[in-house]
Amino acid sequence: MSPVEIGSAAIVVLLVLIYLGMPIGIGMLAVSFAGVAAIRGDTVSMRMLGAVANDSLREYLFAVVPLFVLMGLLVTISKVGKDTFDVFQQLLRRVAAGLGIATVFANAVFASITGISIASATVFSRVAVPEMERHGYTKKFATGVVAGSSVLGMLIPPSLLMIIYAVLAEQSVGRMFLAGVGPGILLAVAFSVVIVLLARFKRDFVFENANDTADYEHHGTLELVLKAVPIVALMLVVLGGLYGGFLNPTEAGAAGALGALVIALLRRSLGFREFWKLLVESGQITVSVLFLILAATFFSRMLALSGVPNALAELLLSSPVGPYGFLLLFLVLIIMLGCLIDSISIMLILLPIALPVAEAAGFDLIWFGVLTVVCVEVGLLTPPFGLSVYIIKSATDDPTLRVADIFRGSMPFVAAMLVSVGLIVAFPPIATWLARL
Amino acid sequence: MTNQTTKADAPAQGRLLDATGKIWAVLVDGLAAAGTFMILVLMMIICADILARNLMGASLPLVSELGALLLVMIVSLQLATTVRADRLARTEIFFTGFRAARPRAGAGLSGVFNLVGAAVVGGIAWSTVRILGKDWASGEYIGVTGIATFPTWPFRALILLGMTIAAIQFLVLAARDFNLALTTKDKT
Amino acid sequence: AQEVIPLTVASSHPTVIPWVGMIQTHFMARTDEILAATGTYQIQWNEAFGGQLYKANATLTSVEEGITDIGWVFSFLEAAKLPLSQGSSYTPFATNNPALQLSVMQDLLATNEAFLEEWESHNLKVLGLTGTDSYDVYTKEPLDSFAALDGMKLSAPGVLGNWLRGTGANAVDGALTTFYTDVQTGVSDGVLSLALGMLPAKIYEVAPYITQVNMGVAFSGAIAINRDTWDGLPPEVQNAMVEAGQYYTKSHGEDLLLRHEAAIRKMLEIGADQNPPVTLTPMEEADREAWVNAMPNLAKEWADALEAKGVPASAYLQAYMDGLRKRGETPLRNWDEGL
Ligand code: NA
Ligand code: NA
Repeated sequence: MSPVEIGSAAIVVLLVLIYLGMPIGIGMLAVSFAGVAAIRGDTVSMRMLGAVANDSLREYLFAVVPLFVLMGLLVTISKVGKDTFDVFQQLLRRVAAGLGIATVFANAVFASITGISIASATVFSRVAVPEMERHGYTKKFATGVVAGSSVLGMLIPPSLLMIIYAVLAEQSVGRMFLAGVGPGILLAVAFSVVIVLLARFKRDFVFENANDTADYEHHGTLELVLKAVPIVALMLVVLGGLYGGFLNPTEAGAAGALGALVIALLRRSLGFREFWKLLVESGQITVSVLFLILAATFFSRMLALSGVPNALAELLLSSPVGPYGFLLLFLVLIIMLGCLIDSISIMLILLPIALPVAEAAGFDLIWFGVLTVVCVEVGLLTPPFGLSVYIIKSATDDPTLRVADIFRGSMPFVAAMLVSVGLIVAFPPIATWLARL
Repeated sequence: MTNQTTKADAPAQGRLLDATGKIWAVLVDGLAAAGTFMILVLMMIICADILARNLMGASLPLVSELGALLLVMIVSLQLATTVRADRLARTEIFFTGFRAARPRAGAGLSGVFNLVGAAVVGGIAWSTVRILGKDWASGEYIGVTGIATFPTWPFRALILLGMTIAAIQFLVLAARDFNLALTTKDKT
Repeated sequence: AQEVIPLTVASSHPTVIPWVGMIQTHFMARTDEILAATGTYQIQWNEAFGGQLYKANATLTSVEEGITDIGWVFSFLEAAKLPLSQGSSYTPFATNNPALQLSVMQDLLATNEAFLEEWESHNLKVLGLTGTDSYDVYTKEPLDSFAALDGMKLSAPGVLGNWLRGTGANAVDGALTTFYTDVQTGVSDGVLSLALGMLPAKIYEVAPYITQVNMGVAFSGAIAINRDTWDGLPPEVQNAMVEAGQYYTKSHGEDLLLRHEAAIRKMLEIGADQNPPVTLTPMEEADREAWVNAMPNLAKEWADALEAKGVPASAYLQAYMDGLRKRGETPLRNWDEGL
């Protein structure tokens, strides 16, 4: 077999193993080992395996992963999310379906202090869903809004997905973060438009009881300001530090985690046991993410040795498919995989193959990254495997809430995301303007 | 060996296995705790560096190189417990349904996955022995001669330890799976 | 009939880095050209530049272990395994001519056994050599004299922190990617670095006062081929590669000098309209001498530390300095004195 044939066979075998349920990282390592052994012999393959495990993660930037994960878990237990929601609820109480819009914007702000969507989905299913139900919104809509707006958590900086893309595509993390701001705002606005349209034209989707008479909790101005202090402080540390040029992304993660720890301690929401549990949880999330990165590194090195990416680029770009046909194919493939596997795995499986093609097509890799991330995030909301939906189901602890209802409630937001992807394709500056400033 | 002695030894063997199991659990948990603690250390040294830079105008030596190595530590030390908790990402499209419908074959398949896991992670451990040896022999270090340096071999040794334990953890899971495959029956 | 030989060529850095790009345009192209003369052999290059196969932290082992056949080894990051190769980083103000320095290094490879051995013991053969352009100082405020360095905070990557010892300036560790914000936010008052790095990193925007100190050039690594691969090549191909490697080294040295000057011109040109504009001031000869003599004996410290480990660094240093002088250079400080 020629190297290109070996590489192609490895991709097919990997897909079969992933389908059968082998841990994705293990599958990638095994297939890549076999691939390199077939191309360059098993001694080289064994040495490459060792080199990948010892050196590929040895990157200061990767330290950002446990730090942002820890920060996300800390702000989840310290009620910073609830306070943010209270502020927006008070501001938007007179608007039609105002609680829905408040959820979207509270999520957008909360997104700027957490890098993982799990945190957003957990917090707002506990904070916003009961409040919306109390005011006569349907469960389907209430949970759908939370699921939909949780995707903002990994689009608006800081964002774990952007970091992973930046690493794979060798783009600056700071620029990738900036590139998420425009699309994040676009998505928040699109979600609000969807909510208003639904409230006007499909009232029974939104409201169980159209005559809401339940009281709103009232907060004085001073109280609101006090509620806003912790989140604004954290935003200042993380985003201010990053864009003021005081901190690199890793340092922003460390400072943010320490800040979130201080807030959690000040609010007495953290005992020693809980803190240790959070650290263990951060560790396990970190390992499952970084082990995948490690495995994907070996996979992409195997592919580079096989010459598959170059052959694929030639094939796709010289054929009638062309660059934009390739882009469409790629995005559709992401959305399809998103029905089945988690966000990070999708990026780690597809990007080693797709990035060289995108580069050969002359695409702006920052723009390409934003499109990738938005489409990957669609997968958080699509059945049968939709991570945000499952998190909401497990966090609400309501036996009458069916997973199918949450998926149904999320569909309008999936539609809004697809429209937004179209807009970003048509108007690249939405993503690139701020990043290239 | 006669049947009798086998019978007489059985409880003792059970106790021994039990004790081994406990020691094993303590080992895996201990490594994980060390890895967990390193997340805190990582946060602290980076924050200390930020402070030093802004208050004293000089950055601390080795921070970025140490941070990078600490991260590799966190991953290798916690891999075994992550494996044990079944937290490595996988799809459930086929696997979950298959296990429910055909428990015996499902356990066998899971055993095969765990064996492959043991093989690749064991391969990492195996090739790390050589890297450790080379770093030891050449006195490989991080940092700059004349300013501050630190040898890399202790980190390599910990990577080797973590990967070895994780490989054995995969083997333990595979043994459990195959045992299950032999003792359960598929509904037919 | 023509025999096709498949070879993988790789690097940790992308081809926009001049000496990586020149692997394609000079080393590979010249090898192909020489082989085409007889047409007996043709190399089928599988290119994996830009970190596709390994990162900067594994340039030596990747060639050594055959992960790639041919690759650029970045000796700056291999101080433990390539100790003698660090020599030029401990002998500042010795020469500003990269081509001349590389020719001395090439000579040493042939005459200094310990130096050749430190490379070849890693299961590889050296084909071509690489170096840096000269180091200057970029500051926020004008640097009036050598004495003004006292109390300043200067960003300097890794080993170059040593070059500030004795000057009263504090070294702030950093990399090309952190210098801009470090200067902008006051973490440091300026940068000690290369024109070739400062231009793309736009450091002149925040540190527009360029003091042309001409602190000297440094040896940075080699194009090397895995020894097992090398032993399997027919003599004709081996000869072609040796010749192409020499051509690469020579072209790269000459290119560095031109590029250094062009980069400084370019910064002056782009930065003419900014406020304050980019200015270039050559450092007074007396100040350069004050600087080099204020330093402790870096070279001796370095050589003594290696000698203690059994590495014959003193003889190497002697040969290096002799080589420079033999080619007409006058090092500002004779680092081999008092060894
Ligand atoms: Na975020
Ligand atoms: Na999905």
